[in-house]
This record gives sequence, structure tokens and C-alpha cells, in this order.
Amino acid sequence: MLRANSLLARERMKPLAIAVACVLVGWLLSAVLPAYFVFLGTTAIVAMISLLGLGIVTGSAGMMALCQLSFAAVGAWAVSWLNSVDAPGGLVVWLPLGGLAAAAAGVVVGLPALRLRGVNLAVVTLGFAAAADLTLGKIQFPGTQTGIQVARPDLFPGDRRYFLFAVIVLALCSLLVHYLQASRWGSGWKFVAFSERGTASAGTSVTVTKLTAFGAGAFLAGVGGGLLSGQVGLVYPSSFTTIQSLALYVLAIVSGSYLIDMAVLGGILWVLVPELLKRFGISQDWGFVIFGALGIQSLTTGSNLGADLRAMWWRRTQRRRKSAEAPAAADAARAPAVPDAGTKVPAATSQTSAVPAAVRRPTSSAVSGAGALLSVRGLSVTFGHVTALSEVDLDLTEGSVTGLMGPNGAGKSTMVDALAGFLPQHQGTIQLAGQSLNGLSPMDRARLGIRRTFQQDRVPPTLSVGAYVRFIARGQASDERVEELLRFFNCPPPSTQLARVDVGTRRLIEVAANMAASPRLLLLDEPAAGLSHEEHVSFAEQLVQLPDRFGTTLLLIEHDLDMVRSVCNDLVVLNFGEVIASGQRDDVLANPQVMTAYMGELEVS
Amino acid sequence: MLQGASAGLAAGGLYAVIAVCLTLMARLVRVVNFSQVAIGMFAAYLAVIFAEQHLPQWAATAAGVCVGAVVSGLIGWIIAQWLPEAGIGARSAVSVASLLLLVSLSFILFGSKPKTFKSLLPGPAFSMGNVVVTQVTVVMVALALAVAVGCHVLLTKSKIGTKLRALSERPTTAELLGVPAKGLSIAVWAGTGLISAAAVSIVAPTQTNDPISLSFIIVPASAAALLGGFRRLDLAVVGGLALGMLQGALAQFEQMSVLRYWVPFLIIVVFLLWAERKEVWDVAR
Repeated sequence: MLRANSLLARERMKPLAIAVACVLVGWLLSAVLPAYFVFLGTTAIVAMISLLGLGIVTGSAGMMALCQLSFAAVGAWAVSWLNSVDAPGGLVVWLPLGGLAAAAAGVVVGLPALRLRGVNLAVVTLGFAAAADLTLGKIQFPGTQTGIQVARPDLFPGDRRYFLFAVIVLALCSLLVHYLQASRWGSGWKFVAFSERGTASAGTSVTVTKLTAFGAGAFLAGVGGGLLSGQVGLVYPSSFTTIQSLALYVLAIVSGSYLIDMAVLGGILWVLVPELLKRFGISQDWGFVIFGALGIQSLTTGSNLGADLRAMWWRRTQRRRKSAEAPAAADAARAPAVPDAGTKVPAATSQTSAVPAAVRRPTSSAVSGAGALLSVRGLSVTFGHVTALSEVDLDLTEGSVTGLMGPNGAGKSTMVDALAGFLPQHQGTIQLAGQSLNGLSPMDRARLGIRRTFQQDRVPPTLSVGAYVRFIARGQASDERVEELLRFFNCPPPSTQLARVDVGTRRLIEVAANMAASPRLLLLDEPAAGLSHEEHVSFAEQLVQLPDRFGTTLLLIEHDLDMVRSVCNDLVVLNFGEVIASGQRDDVLANPQVMTAYMGELEVS
Repeated sequence: MLQGASAGLAAGGLYAVIAVCLTLMARLVRVVNFSQVAIGMFAAYLAVIFAEQHLPQWAATAAGVCVGAVVSGLIGWIIAQWLPEAGIGARSAVSVASLLLLVSLSFILFGSKPKTFKSLLPGPAFSMGNVVVTQVTVVMVALALAVAVGCHVLLTKSKIGTKLRALSERPTTAELLGVPAKGLSIAVWAGTGLISAAAVSIVAPTQTNDPISLSFIIVPASAAALLGGFRRLDLAVVGGLALGMLQGALAQFEQMSVLRYWVPFLIIVVFLLWAERKEVWDVAR
């Protein structure tokens, strides 16, 4: 235990240690590099900080932001203005203020982005960049007309010292990004890039998540811009043109600048490529031609430098580990599989130690006298002329497991969508423990204790298992509880990357994560799809225990009759959007209408 | 002010033509082509180079326009080849990279200073009262209308139009039914490249025509296309013409020049906020 704690502490100190080491290297470089390279180095650092910001917006949150240098210009403008009015504190204080000014601009530009995604956002940001570009050309930066240079901090005069200052700022920004990426915000960014529905179902606001990404990205750009004004003294609009913003965006994609080391590499490329071209007497405009071509290559292959290098490194360490573990064949089999289609990560343990001796079937809603947890009356959903659900009534007793059945297109998933809040236009009432849910967003419903899983894969591969579970749990589960739940569902350990987990196991992780949120009601939309027969059976055994162990009520959409028989006590059968039978399991299964609507189809197939 | 609006109409015609091209691209090949005007710019500059080689003006322009179509087709081929199933975001990002590539390449080949374009259509067409309407204006407005109507007829009445619509709505199904997806996509790219190259070649002599200013006409043009939601050709044309006239009218007031820069951006923002005021989700389910 002690050893684990010291390991954890060492893991926490690692980023700090790396940052200190980088500052030391920066100090060494500032002393030994020729003056010209020191100046170029500062330019590279400015680009690195902007790339770190783009890494958040574009790399993590998956939004197309084409105005990064316009945000940098806002930061530079703020710093120049603070300098021209001789504001107290000096550059050390002005830098974060410039960052905040840029973040404010970012949030304003991001506001229309709340409900916009992808390309529309790209159009907005390109419009902002073009307008800001022209405006800056017209109004100029404060101090340029009067020739008031932006004052550098007293401790860091001269280009060499200022380079060291820039390195310190870079180290601080990198630490900020590191901790943000590891925080709930960071998980939210990666989540929203993969699925907005998934984000809202986890009780997290899509709007806030996007705005924080935009704000954080712009803040970093603003700090970069402020740093630049200290470097050059007098700032001119030519440093922040739209075309440079586009180039930076492309470079962020090529390098994979959501990874801190890759943002650093990207910044180096930003100055190295034009510098090399200059050395060889080639027009520096070829630099952006090269970036453009690399961008096309990177986008069409869906890869980036950072991901490629990391994949290479991972394969190497895996190979080494395998050869080391070769004698212990049993252990080697446990190593996570390469994410090839079809390969599976074997569960950490095939037997769950957490299973209690006596497996008790949960209470039946028909038998128990407890009040209804969920009460649905007259629920109807129409899409144009198609009626997906018509006058559906449903009661779920606290602690029950109810199966929702019906042939394809019967309206099962529509039902789950309506309960989870994705179909606000529905008619009828939905109440959770007496509280009406009508008009509440998916996020609000998730926070009230209705959680759901998806039929489609809504598990972002960019997260680790642990980060994913913690994000879904919203602080409801301790680390021990997370590990317990993962073990209970035979899921891989928290440190595993989701990208290396097969789809069937991802569904189990999704269920485990939602259970970690301690929901009152969990809606499971075909959670066993993609599992083998053995896994099916063990999954059913686990589901049965959930109400007693965790006090959660379950609504389960499932086609597998064996599973329905072994897990559910009540059944509701839908056909063409109407309830054709509901009640105790055996009664419903014996209902002739159900036989024709559901079983008939099964026999045919 | 009326004179200003009329002067802006030529630019408005260009916005409208480009907006129609953008709408077609978004509908048919799932791309918001940020390099649409840059392709036209590249073609127009090539025409200047060709004309300097003692080619007659019309031949130089035609050659430039053809190269524009080929360049556009080439980008389309890259996307059709490697990103056939990708979403509109990933495909459009490629066009951002090509915009960067084309603008930088023009700096190298043609320099960053404005070129002296020989006007293809010099002089006024007619005047109403004290408002003069130039030939370029007349041709551009006519071209915008013709392209929009022509594309509409092509899409709704012809066999190839049916195939194109099938391709846009259900690409995989269409391909399984024997619609040559890749070939048609490339044809759409080449076709819109041809149209925008021709439009830019006509208007370039009357505009600030350095590579950057020309290429970033994509901003007002995409604002116009957004008015039609990247779906409706008629609204794209109306939006383009109106935007051009508004900017032309504002250009009359020196003190409003900064506002003029922000007009496309503000229109984009206001329109998008209105259009997407209801909650929508990223996927159907």
C-alpha cells in the first residue's frame, strides 16, 4: 500500500520534474546558443504556446478553429495597451491578463459555436480571422505610432534572458495544459469530440464543455501573443494574418499538438522550415506549401506525427515486454491486444471475487408494494407522419429489472431516447419518483439519476478506461469503487487505453461506468451486443445483482430471450410503437400476441 | 449610396456564383470547399501569365480556367480516393490545407503584389439616372442566376442529376446501385472549379486582386451560402447579391470601413444563431 502511494506521488511529481528540467535546458540553451537562434527560439516558443491552445480546441475537442492568431493578436493588443498606459505589474502580470482578454474573445466567438459543430464553426472562425485581420491593419497596435516599446520584465532584459522567460512561460502553460487535460474538462473535451449525445447523457453540459475548450485555447493564444509583444517591442499586424492562422491550424493537425511534446515539435517546425529554406536560398513561401501538402497527407490518412510516434513506441515496448514475459505464457496472454478488428482484450479475471454467494433475483414490480420509480403516461413520439410511439404507459418499481422487447423498428430505442431527454417534442408525461421530467434536458435528467447506455459505440477511444469511468461517474465514485466495478464486470484495468479495447468489452465498460454514477434508473440499450455466449451468461448474472448491490432500477432492451428470461422479472413488449403486452415475465412470454409479433419473427429467422 | 450598392453588385454577383458552387459542393460531395475562390484566383493569375506569353486574352483566360478546373478536380480526386466515407468536417479540413497550399504557391509563382489584370468586359453597360451599371455587373448577376437555374434544372430534370442526388443522399447505396461515385465526385469538383475560375477571372480586374484578398472572398461567399443553409441555391444567390450591395453601400462611408469588414462575420453569426436556435444533436441517435 505504502509502495503504491509513493508510486502515485512519484507519478504526480513527474510533470513538475519534467517542467523544471525543461527550464534548466532552456537556461543552458539561452547561455550557449548564438544570439540569432535565441531570438528564433523565442519565436518558436510563441508558436508552441499557440499550438498548445489549438491542440485543445482542434485536437482534443475536435472543433475547427481557424482564427488562433487572431486570439493571439487580442492578447498582444491587450499587453501593448497595458504597456502604453503604464499599467502596474509589468509583463508578468500583463501576460495572463492578455490571455484572459483573448479567452473572453474566444468565448464570444465560441458563443455561436454552442450549437454549431464542425464546418459551421470553421466558417465562423474564418470570418472572424478575416475581419480581425483587416481591422488590425486599420487600427494598428497601441504604442506603434508613438514608438513605445513593450517593456520586458526587469529580471529578464536582453534577448537571452527573455528567451529564458519565454521558456518558463512555456513550462507553466504546458503544466496548465497537462493538468487541464487530465481533469474533468479534458475528458469532456475528448468526449464531446466523439459524441455530444454521450456527453449530455453523462450529465455534462455540451455547451460549457465546448466553451471551456474555446476559452482555454484562446487563453493560450493570448499568452503567446503577449509574449511576442515583449519579444519584438512594437507589434505589427503582419504577425497575425489569417493565412498564418490557417498554417498554424494545419500544423496543429500534422503534429498532433494535443500532445504537449508535439506542440513543442510543431513550434520548432514553425521556425525551422522557413529558416532552412532561407539557408538554401529558396523562397520562404514554400514553407506554407509544405505545411499544406503535409496537412493534406495527414488528413487523408487520418494520422499525425504524435500518434504515429506513440504507436511506434507502444509497439516496441509491447514487443519487449512480450519477449520478457515469454516464459510465463499465461501472463503474456493477459497483455492488451493490438486494436485489430476482431481481437479482444481478455477480462482481467474470469471469475469475479465480488459476486456474493447467493444470487438473488430482484423484486418484481407486480409483487412488491414499493411505489413506482418511473411513471410514464401517454408517451407519444412522431417523426413527421411516422408515429414511433403511441400512448405508451409504463411503470417501473424501484429495484426491478424490466425488459423492453419488440421487433426491429418497434420503438424501443425511441423510448429510451424519450426517457433520456433527447426527444423534447414528445407528448405525455414522464415522472421520476414523482418529479416531472418534461422539459428537462438530457444533462438535467442524467444529474437527477437517469443514466443510459447506447446501442452505438459512444465510448471515446481517446480516453483511458479510468478517465472514462471517472468522467461518467461525475465524482460519485472513489478510485476503489471504480476498480471494484471494473472487476465486477470483468473489465480491463483503469490504465488501459479504450482504443485498445474491443467493442463488446467497451459496452461492459460503459455499463460499469454508468453504474459508478450510482444512478436511480439505468436504461440499457442492447448492452450485450458484441459479446460471446459465455460473456452473455456472465453479464446476465452480473446484471441480476445490480438492484440489490447498488439500489439501481434497470430497463433493459434485449433481443436474447435466454438473457431476458434469466435477468428480467417484468416485461414490456412494443410493436409498431404500441404496448402490446406488459406484466410479469412468464405471463407476457406466454401471450399469443407477443408470440406472433416477436417469437414469430424469431422462428422465421 | 445607390451608386455604391450598384458598384457592390459586381462583387455580389461573384459572391452569389461562389455561394452556388459552395452549396452544390456541400450538397453533392459533402465538402465546404474553403479553397473554392483560391482555385479561381489561381486560374485568374495563370491567365495573366499566359497573356504575358502573347496569347490572346480570351485564349489565356480559357486556358487559366481549364487549369483551375483540373486543380479543383485533383483536390476532389484526393478526397474521393482517401476520404470516401469521412464526414463533412474531415473533408472540409482538406480544403483548408489546399487553400493554404494554393495561396502560398501563388506567392511563389506570381508574387504577393496585385497584378494588372486586363479587363475582359470594360466600361459601363448602361446608366439609370446617375447610377452607372458596368458590364461586369450585368454579366456577373446574369452568371449567378444562370448557374443557379442551370444547376437546379440539371439536378432535378436530368438523369445525371438523379444520380448526383442519389450520391449525395446515400453515397454507399448509390455506389452499390452502380452509380460511379468517384467519377461523379471528381466531375462536381472540376465543374465548380471551372465556374468559380470563370467568375473570378471576370471580376478580378475590378477588385483588390492580390492573392489573399481574392482568396478570402470565400468569407462573404460562405456567409451567402449559409443563408441558404448550404442547401438552397435560390437563397444563396439572393444572399450573395444582397451582401455585395450592402458592402458596396457601406463603402461609401469612410468612417464605416471597419464595420464593413465585420459585415460577413456578423451575418454568419446572427444567421447561425437563428437557424440553430433549437437544440439539435450531432447524430440522429
